[in-house]
Amino acid sequence: MHQKSKNLSALKLMDNATLFSQFSTQSKKGILVIYSNQIFSLLKATWILLILFIQKFSKLSAISLTYMYLGIAVVLVFFLVRAFLIFKNFQFKIENNHFILKKGIIKKTNIEIPFDRIQNINFKQNIVQQIINVYEVNIETAGSADAEISIKAMTFEQATALKNSITIFDKANTKSEVEIKEKPLLEIDFLALLKVSITENHLKSLLILIAILIGFFQQLEQFFKGSGNDELVDNFISENSSAFQTSIFIMLFFSLLLVLVGLISSFVRILLQHFNLTVFIKNDTLEIDQGLTTKKSIVLKKNKVQHITISTNPLKKILGISFITFSQAESGISKEKKQEIIKIVGCKIAQISAIKNLLFPNENLNDFDKNQVDSYYKSRLYLQGIFVLSLINLGFYFGFQNHLIFWINVVLFPVFALLIETKFKKRTYLFSEDLLQINFGTIETHQTILPFYKVQCVSMQQTFFQARKNVADLVFQTASGKIKIPCINSTEALKMYNFALYKIETSQQSWM
Amino acid sequence: MVNSFENIAVISFPELPENEFLSIEKKYLNVIYINFFILFFASISVVFLVDFTNIINISAFSFWIYIALIIAFTIQFLILKIGFSKRKYLVRSKDISYKSGLFFMKTTTVPFHRIQHIEINQGPFSRFFNLAVLIVFTAGNSSDDLKIRGIKMTDASKIKEFISTQIDG
Repeated sequence: MHQKSKNLSALKLMDNATLFSQFSTQSKKGILVIYSNQIFSLLKATWILLILFIQKFSKLSAISLTYMYLGIAVVLVFFLVRAFLIFKNFQFKIENNHFILKKGIIKKTNIEIPFDRIQNINFKQNIVQQIINVYEVNIETAGSADAEISIKAMTFEQATALKNSITIFDKANTKSEVEIKEKPLLEIDFLALLKVSITENHLKSLLILIAILIGFFQQLEQFFKGSGNDELVDNFISENSSAFQTSIFIMLFFSLLLVLVGLISSFVRILLQHFNLTVFIKNDTLEIDQGLTTKKSIVLKKNKVQHITISTNPLKKILGISFITFSQAESGISKEKKQEIIKIVGCKIAQISAIKNLLFPNENLNDFDKNQVDSYYKSRLYLQGIFVLSLINLGFYFGFQNHLIFWINVVLFPVFALLIETKFKKRTYLFSEDLLQINFGTIETHQTILPFYKVQCVSMQQTFFQARKNVADLVFQTASGKIKIPCINSTEALKMYNFALYKIETSQQSWM
Repeated sequence: MVNSFENIAVISFPELPENEFLSIEKKYLNVIYINFFILFFASISVVFLVDFTNIINISAFSFWIYIALIIAFTIQFLILKIGFSKRKYLVRSKDISYKSGLFFMKTTTVPFHRIQHIEINQGPFSRFFNLAVLIVFTAGNSSDDLKIRGIKMTDASKIKEFISTQIDG
């Protein structure tokens, strides 16, 4: 994609410094992008009203119709003017290794971000942006949430020039950035994506779909409440639930349907997010391009990655694929706006080791022994399991009047026990001089790798009962969240605690 | 295969000296008591008011509510009193540690390198006893950082001063 222009812009690198030295607006097409975004969010908020309006369309008199059209026209024009003003007031420049942005029509905002605070620069294209061939550039920082910057429309040349002038502010990197490795580390075609989606956690996809649908129906319900339709639905349900025998067939049919829906929804989800996934390794960065309707290009700086998690499940294991999740520093202030998770799906073993090699060169954890957590962890899991089981039984007791239902425990108990045993068996950890690896998971298998020097603070927790068994929980607080090793021998925990502190305090590397 | 501990034991690294931890100021126990009794009398009077004005009819079992409250607060009081001696802190040349907890023990250490900023707070009662709260913030998740309640104001500023010079240097 745009290889030629990429090289061209690389040649034009020299001009970058002067390119953004004055305040400039984004590409004029940006008005269109902002406008379409506004209209889209307006439609999203009022779509039910619109449907109602169309339903009642024939009943409206000619005069009120004219008013309606006039109103719509006023709204459309208002948003056009607003889009223009937003565009006009959105200006940015680069000065002394700072990105400076001023924006706001009435409430003026000035943002200044030093380059070394910038976590990553992502390109994005939704459908509108794809049609008019502009790129959205998102600048993400660690730290305050209002410093997140989104430039809605830039030409590819402008966007790369901006990216280059931000990422290559120190001379040392400049040279190597020009020699772009053309061959991607990873390219996932349609067939491989199919493999990935078949082996996904379909239950999760189904739950996501259900969550979306519930939100959708709740919105509908609020509008149609009391219109008499409720009764119809209730009648339908009561009619069909009366016959128990037929309901078994219906349940079977539904579970089959659910499996199918789960499969399809995972496929659609994977396809939308990861279509045409390509990963490049360029010097110290990973570039990830993907997406169907919204194309995204993420540039991941090596030293901004706090820890990685390599995950697989039994099905994926058979096909020899797993996915990698990259955790970066969270912007601590806004909890509700979770940062997007950066994920590479469908990695083969060779690619995983290439990525590991990029992030943690000269490190090989395979030579070290796995340490199992203490069996206290297992007893804790069993205790929790018994608690959940008794809750389920209590639910059965009140839900069904039939005592035969308790026979289901004959199935449930072994399943619980099996899950707990595997969960305990997978809970291991190992570490070398610089890296800590934690393995966990029940059905899926996760492997988190964390360099000691990225840890922000260490803590050790011990309950009264743990103290009697001489075990403790160890918690490593990183900029991207907590990493916990539960229930390990107290003396070993203390040793690791001290060792981690020693590694952090003697490390010269900066954690971001 | 190499056992990580065996391998790493070759290099020596300093240990957290358990016996060098400093207790927080005894006077802080007074602040804890004041806060405790304010809460205690507030809850008792809420129950009393509800009972007296009959907003919700609880007269049948109001006696048991009082008993439950008193038992709960007595237990809480004992935990606070005995647990107080467990609250300890330690400032070393490169990090700061705090530990606390009677039934849920927790030790936390923050290396100076990783500190984003430090805050000193003083509540109204603490001000009376000339005590302060020292809060250390690190990057990322700010909920679980280090918080030392009940050290002398002068000590708090000294520690803050010391850490600030360490961060810069």
